[in-house]
Amino acid sequence: MRQSSPSTDRLDRLYALALCLYPAPFRRGYAPAMRQAFRDALQDRTLSRRTLVPLVLRDLVTSLAKEHLAMLRDTFARPALVFNAVVLSALATGLALALYAIPQQVLRQGANDPQIQLADDLAARLEQGIAPAEAVPAGSVDIARSLSSFVIAYDDQGRPLASQAQLNGTVPAPPKGVFDYVRQHGEERLSWQPAFGNGRSVRIAAVIQRVGGPHPGFVLAGRNMREVEAREEQVEQMAGLTWIGMLAVILVGTAAFGWYARPRAA
Amino acid sequence: MATETAPAAPLTPAVFAILLSLAEGDKHGYHIMKDARAPQGGGIQMGPGTLYGSLERMMRDGLVEESGLSDDERRRYYRLTKLGQSVLAAELERLDAAVSSAHALGLFPHGGRS
Repeated sequence: MRQSSPSTDRLDRLYALALCLYPAPFRRGYAPAMRQAFRDALQDRTLSRRTLVPLVLRDLVTSLAKEHLAMLRDTFARPALVFNAVVLSALATGLALALYAIPQQVLRQGANDPQIQLADDLAARLEQGIAPAEAVPAGSVDIARSLSSFVIAYDDQGRPLASQAQLNGTVPAPPKGVFDYVRQHGEERLSWQPAFGNGRSVRIAAVIQRVGGPHPGFVLAGRNMREVEAREEQVEQMAGLTWIGMLAVILVGTAAFGWYARPRAA
Repeated sequence: MATETAPAAPLTPAVFAILLSLAEGDKHGYHIMKDARAPQGGGIQMGPGTLYGSLERMMRDGLVEESGLSDDERRRYYRLTKLGQSVLAAELERLDAAVSSAHALGLFPHGGRS
């Protein structure tokens, strides 16, 4: 056996400090025995320091990770605890989705409100035989910038006849398929994106109605959705924050309950 | 409390080395580490963390138990249980079969042991 030396004492104290890094239950159970085993190794003449120190360092790293993982598994990986956390997380996710989807739908549907009446009125005037140029109110709305409502009258092939709206100097027209749908169903309410691109995207809350009578065609009433979409984004952020908050509460609550109700050694 | 269920073979090198060391009789921590380090004990370089972590799980599985012997209150002695003995025997049989198979295939350099 080696005699105790300053370097042996220093290594012994360092190892005692390192033992503080183990989980408390493991430390309470085994720290004195581990320290004694380390002391025995320090005294062993057949084991050089050059072998012992790297061995113990490797052992510390691997066994610390293993014991902390085992403690987490014992504390939190109980089926009832995990099941409760998963159910609560699913409920929180459903609630957060509802918090986003319901106001989003209310905002989006509300964005059609003035256009429904505007399209009705214009269709009625055209069906009475009033010329499109007279039926469509005067004025020009740049739909990329303005939040004002606007109307456009189209002929039966979807060509513009009269318009309040301008986009880059032209009268925009929805895809032909939209007119085909309205021809069959009488009306369509949709989010229409007449311009794409970075910083140039324009989205319109549009209501399109079929015009009957001697000169059939279509009317479109629309409004830029910029403000509505800004509010939808705020709702999305609030719902997202609420979701993260609920998950954090569930995580902390589960961890606290798991710790409080952890299995304890007899 | 021991669960009394044998771990599925093959055993980890550390568990096998501990069982093999304790097959000789009651031993304390460093004695087991020293046995494991020897070539005939498996040549396993095991530190105190791995040793006592393994011992804790082995006690939970009912493979080993504290013997109650002590020459120093900081030294804890361990011994094999019946289950530990049978798990060690099963592992040795498994290894023996593998070694016999390797012999039959001529895989040992210089013919291996006689």
